[in-house]
Amino acid sequence: MTEGIDLTTSCGPIALRTPVLAASGCFAYGQQFAAFTDLRALGGISTKGISPLPRFGNPLPRICETTGGMLNSIGLENVGVEAFLRDKLPFLRDLGVSVWVNFFGVDFETYVDCARQLSEGQGIDALEMNISCPNIKKGGIEFGTVPEVAHRLTRACVEVSRVPIIVKLSPNVSDIVAMADAVQKAGAAGVSLINTITGMAIDVRTRRPKIATTYGGLSGPAIKPIALRMVHQVARALPELPICGMGGILSGEDALEFLMAGAHCVQVGTANFAEPGAGVRITEELRTLLRTLGFASARAAIGSLQPHAAEPEYLAESPWSSS
Amino acid sequence: MTAAQFEVRVEANRRLSGGYFLLELAAAAPTPVADAVPGQFVMLRGEWGRELLNPRAFSILDAPDATHFSILAKAYGEGTRRLKRVEPGDRLVTTGPLGAAFPRPGAGVRDLLVAGGVGLPPLHFFARMAHRAGLSGQVEMYYGGRDRDDLVLLDDLAAWGVVTNLATEDGSAGVRGYVTAALAPRLDAAARTGEAVRVLACGPTPMLAAVRRLVLERGVQAFLCLEENMACGFGVCLGCAVPVYGAKPYRYCCTDGPVFDAREVRWP
Repeated sequence: MTEGIDLTTSCGPIALRTPVLAASGCFAYGQQFAAFTDLRALGGISTKGISPLPRFGNPLPRICETTGGMLNSIGLENVGVEAFLRDKLPFLRDLGVSVWVNFFGVDFETYVDCARQLSEGQGIDALEMNISCPNIKKGGIEFGTVPEVAHRLTRACVEVSRVPIIVKLSPNVSDIVAMADAVQKAGAAGVSLINTITGMAIDVRTRRPKIATTYGGLSGPAIKPIALRMVHQVARALPELPICGMGGILSGEDALEFLMAGAHCVQVGTANFAEPGAGVRITEELRTLLRTLGFASARAAIGSLQPHAAEPEYLAESPWSSS
Repeated sequence: MTAAQFEVRVEANRRLSGGYFLLELAAAAPTPVADAVPGQFVMLRGEWGRELLNPRAFSILDAPDATHFSILAKAYGEGTRRLKRVEPGDRLVTTGPLGAAFPRPGAGVRDLLVAGGVGLPPLHFFARMAHRAGLSGQVEMYYGGRDRDDLVLLDDLAAWGVVTNLATEDGSAGVRGYVTAALAPRLDAAARTGEAVRVLACGPTPMLAAVRRLVLERGVQAFLCLEENMACGFGVCLGCAVPVYGAKPYRYCCTDGPVFDAREVRWP
């Protein structure tokens, strides 16, 4: 019944069979989901963030639930580049979906090293550069919040990478367009919007923060309106910059909102924890909704947002206005 | 055994003393939870909309046949408050069975089951399985709570012929004090007679830490069933890290545990 809907899309040079990908940090390296869902029905998978050396993560407690979302401070725990390329990448490559490897460093040099080493891997479609994790201490904040620093770092990584680089931006900035503009000019193939928003929760019985690092990253539907606003701002200001939108997507309708705001594809994150098949369900809901609303394809929906009608003239000229 | 995600219907929500409730759940078709063993758990989530996102983890209390299983819980936060209100016919989404179980009863060793409060389910399940296997003479239960009302499902243990030792903080049942007050003399007696015993424990973290100190001091083998915040239950969110000794500072409550060797856990 919905066969006629063309779901293919792209994020810059990266062709996608469907617009719905699994988000970094919410999908590990994919294997755990094979028991629950058809991974091949996804548009792609963005891996857990990879650093040059393995990281063991933050102290406990690391997560807590909040209204319409959750806070996490996992600490970018990962297996490191070497073990990723050897043990994790082959599984992802064999799925035939778009493989985005999320990565980060602890300083300028390790970012560039990580990009160089990862881009040697076979079957990687894109590197998603994480300059926005709130949960590492050393230097991380400047990469994600100062446009000139983000520009320099992006350019250095683009120069050494054999595959396109998508930069995942932090929402914890006052001017998201300036950040997007800086990384676009440095050669980023696109941007992922948004990472988690820093937040906090307190256990009043123990008078302690609910997570050990005090602040953590807020995800889930609570942040969707902010994510949509940022996607829309960047899409309007930088129409040539491909955007992968994310932030609290739980349904096909949520995904379509992001496409209409100007995202070329979307990622599903926190929803995977409660429902490992969320990405595939959301893809099917999106397909049905596109058809219901008369779209011939997912591409037709991208940036299709309509402005409200302009204010009628008779209201603009109020008899009470003092001219 | 591979876990699955499936829907169940509430068949009964039995209110017990002490604020405990026991949910009897039924799936429409056989599920892998039928093969669950004591210590394994399920993630449960009701129709909670967008306000409360993540499922909650519960030890399996029993899995009597291919389509049924039960859990025992107490309302603590918003998720368990909502679960306490479910009625027969309500639908819940289940993921499971998850995690690593307690070891099976071994020949020539007596299992001392140590439960504190809401930590009863995996040990009650263990006692039930021992009874079904004709091994109830090989297990003893040490069960502690705040008061008499905080101790539930005692009739089952009696019916299975499981020797049960109670401890309550107010002395209203069994010995007065924590469950370790009942356990310590038993371990000392075993040491004196050279009896081979093993401890399997589940309960609040301070209780498990106390049990761990007792067994480490005495060189008794013990397995602890832990609890941590977890969003997924299948090794992805990495929220439920457990500090351990070894090559890595953390392992995961959901996939490496929830049952850990007491020597492995890195607690003070």
